[in-house]
Amino acid sequence: MDQILNVLQFALDGLSQQQQVVANNLANADTPGFTAQQVNFESSLQQALASPNGGQATVTVTDSPDAPGSNGNNVDTGNQLVAADQTTLQYQTTVEMLNAQYRLIQGAAGGSFS
Amino acid sequence: MSLFGAFNISASGIDAAQTWINTTAGNIANANDVAPVSGKAYQAQTPVYTPTTSLPDGSGDGVAVAGIDLGDSTGIVESDPTSPLANSQGLVRVPDVSMGQQLVNLVQAQNDYQANTAALERAKTAYQAALTLGQ
Repeated sequence: MDQILNVLQFALDGLSQQQQVVANNLANADTPGFTAQQVNFESSLQQALASPNGGQATVTVTDSPDAPGSNGNNVDTGNQLVAADQTTLQYQTTVEMLNAQYRLIQGAAGGSFS
Repeated sequence: MSLFGAFNISASGIDAAQTWINTTAGNIANANDVAPVSGKAYQAQTPVYTPTTSLPDGSGDGVAVAGIDLGDSTGIVESDPTSPLANSQGLVRVPDVSMGQQLVNLVQAQNDYQANTAALERAKTAYQAALTLGQ
């Protein structure tokens, strides 16, 4: 139970950072020479969960490898808007799962399950 | 990365887009300005965007307008003998503002504004979900 809560909390942190990186990419959609950034926490989390002795998952922010346009900027506004939507939905789902876990704990502790 | 950090980042993007819309409006309003040949033509204004970073981790923190780039003051010298500003040869100086370029900029600035608003809206939805934790 504890591990599930930790995993979900880590996912929330990663998604929150992703939300900010996407917002920053969109804010700089017309800044000359700006390189878009991307967040990855899923593969690190998967690795940590798969290792038998438990591992440490980290959130990494890297530069986007996309080719820049004529002004040296490589932000794809469409992609970023899709990413913003996706991140929000993932965030909402994760919060919902956390709440479900809390309800289980609450019920097990003698309270109501709903 | 501050709490609700995406709000401030998107707000900086909206501000920058607003500046671009304002300068573009100014350029279009002044496209037909007339100056004496001895003077300077109206100089088209373009905001210079620069990314901002937050210390100490150096993560992206939005965008800022570093300054306003001024266009060419030479403009175009044309004949307009009826103008009160015309010189003895009937010449005046008018700005070299491309209306097409300005309208393209306006569309682009509007897209910027809308994209930042959309990101703000998504961030708000996510943060609202976070506020239901434990309820």
